Amino acid sequence: MTLKIKFFAYFRDLFGARERDLVLESAATVGGVLEVLTDTPERRAEVFAGAELKPHVVLLLNGAPPGRGLSTPLADGDTLAIFPLLGGG
Amino acid sequence: MSDYPISGYFGRVLVVDLSLGEVRTEPLDPATALDYLGGRGLATRLLYDTIDPACEPLGPDNAFVIASSPLVGTSAPTAGRGHMVFKSPLTGVIGTSNSGGTWGAAFKAAGWDALVVTGAAASPVMIDIAPGRAEIRPADDLWGKTVHETNDLLAAASEPGRPARVLCIGPAGENLVRFAVVANDANRVYGRCGAGAVWGGKKLKAVRVRGREKIAVADKERFQSGLDQALYLIKQAPVTKRLMRDLGTAGLVELINLISMLPHRNFQDCTHRDEDVDRVSGETLAKTLLEKAGSCYLCPIGCQRHTRVAGRDGKEERGEGPEYETMVLMGPLCGIYDMAAITRANYRANELGLDTMSYGGTVACAMEMAGLGLIGPGETGGIDLSFGGAEALEALVGMTARREGIGAALAEGAYRLAAGRGRPDLAMTVKKLELPAYDPRASYTQALGYMTSPSGACHLRGGYAVSLAFFGGAKEIPRFSLLQSPIAIRNMQNLGILQDSLGVCRFTGYAFSADPWARMVSGVTGRDFSVARLEEIENRVAALERQFNVEAGATAADDALPDRFADSPIVVEGRERRVSRDDQERMKRDYYEVRGWDRDGRPTPGLLRALRIEESRR
Ligand code: SF4
Repeated sequence: MTLKIKFFAYFRDLFGARERDLVLESAATVGGVLEVLTDTPERRAEVFAGAELKPHVVLLLNGAPPGRGLSTPLADGDTLAIFPLLGGG
Repeated sequence: MSDYPISGYFGRVLVVDLSLGEVRTEPLDPATALDYLGGRGLATRLLYDTIDPACEPLGPDNAFVIASSPLVGTSAPTAGRGHMVFKSPLTGVIGTSNSGGTWGAAFKAAGWDALVVTGAAASPVMIDIAPGRAEIRPADDLWGKTVHETNDLLAAASEPGRPARVLCIGPAGENLVRFAVVANDANRVYGRCGAGAVWGGKKLKAVRVRGREKIAVADKERFQSGLDQALYLIKQAPVTKRLMRDLGTAGLVELINLISMLPHRNFQDCTHRDEDVDRVSGETLAKTLLEKAGSCYLCPIGCQRHTRVAGRDGKEERGEGPEYETMVLMGPLCGIYDMAAITRANYRANELGLDTMSYGGTVACAMEMAGLGLIGPGETGGIDLSFGGAEALEALVGMTARREGIGAALAEGAYRLAAGRGRPDLAMTVKKLELPAYDPRASYTQALGYMTSPSGACHLRGGYAVSLAFFGGAKEIPRFSLLQSPIAIRNMQNLGILQDSLGVCRFTGYAFSADPWARMVSGVTGRDFSVARLEEIENRVAALERQFNVEAGATAADDALPDRFADSPIVVEGRERRVSRDDQERMKRDYYEVRGWDRDGRPTPGLLRALRIEESRR
């Protein structure tokens, strides 16, 4: 299946892209995709604390928080956005 | 140093009566200080004791109060803010507005805790304040000058180690534009609710301060433990550690679009092309117009945008902004994605003294009206008032500030503009205050915040629920919970009251909430301000603001969103969303209950007694 991954703020530098298409052979979960994406120690350290997401990392699946967190299953054509918690107003 | 019984205060309120041309110092009752703390809380109490909430906001019977807090002037991070309270000429209810910069700290260092200005002068004046001395001076020579000209002229009196800090109005305030600002350090503003028009009505052009008093800290160890905790947490959270500095508040633009909350064309929908949104994003701003980030007094976060842009004539202009709200309300809300035009309009609004948020909301309303034929082409002096018209956005700033042509109608704000032509439903306002740049259909919590904010649709007083939309599941409150929204928004409103009453920046809230503040304020004052005691103060201030509004004539019917949000859905997360009238009623009822107000939204006599809210002493 093909997924669209969007990066925001300094995650764009960290992952070297604003957005990329990710093609996977088999079914995947949000957590599985993050494992694939965090392929350097630096990327891993920014996103994960052990097996958990770091508290400031925010994920949106098709514009909404993934219902089952890291174990949320993904479907072909899904868009996953990943960013550090931002503020403003 | 002062001999006031509570450390951190001077125990002195500076009262200026512009009608009589009189300046005097009144004692600050220690019980009032302890019950209302400072900033927004103290200013609200002093205003309530000074004016009749039913008074005419642009006349001599209105007053404004600016208060500092025990933390202002200490080394607490961001504690340099002032909070101004008045009756708003835009909304007819309490006007309450906060500003950073350095003025708040300089005023406190002049040896007063609050400034109360009543009456009105017959000809233009300014107030000059220095330690132990305050006077009213003629300001005929300043009248008509822009914010920057006025600031530069008055700040020229700075002495080494004792800079002069200036609050002033621009032509918009002089011309009683209902959403005129009071500018602070030239480019910061007391932005919302029309404080500038209140000053204009009093013929008050500026207030200059020079201070050098020190603030005593009673319990240094306790203060330091709170301070250490606060600074540590600011360095931990990415938002306060670097993101605000990297991207400014406009860093939110793309994300708010991602969660279908970014308004478009006067809130007709939230649909944008991604490439358009990219043109007005914080990232694009950082890569193109940004020169450097800047900071308010003692702020380690540093979100200010110092920018430059090519003028329409090709000459380079320098200034500050745009912030998220300005970017979106002057931009996509008007169908405009031209960052240079938005930035120039922002600079012009800063110079002339207009609130960029209300201005954007009013222009968007005018654009929709023009599309419906409610504003004729003959009225605009040849300016094309269609959505997307960046030239109109720029040209109308000056016309509005000077009340020229169609600008005279715009100067009244979106509600009066639309209602005056028989279509109040086209004004996206609550209590006549133009909405911030988050569509309430994309978060019930934000919707309820707009409805119940004491000052009308304001994200800073109403509660900022936007980050809730980023989270799901058990960790946070889902954005579409009718049940949880009332408590969630009460809590967020209360944290805002605390920050405003301590004179600290809202953005510290991304790193921590009440606990470090409780330690710091206990340390400064030497009194025990537990988190629970601070909460009581928050509830007291919320009840008093509501009481003010009730006496000003506001009712539960005013706590409602414009019809558009109940009738026309937008699509969020694949579902149609609106905030029906029933849902609004239900959340409102629960919110009143959480607040301890009656079914009509009035604080009960029992609640006022329990919170020790005395009757007005006026
Ligand atoms: S975060 Fe921004 S607005 Fe707040 S005090 Fe710092 S510079 Fe000023």
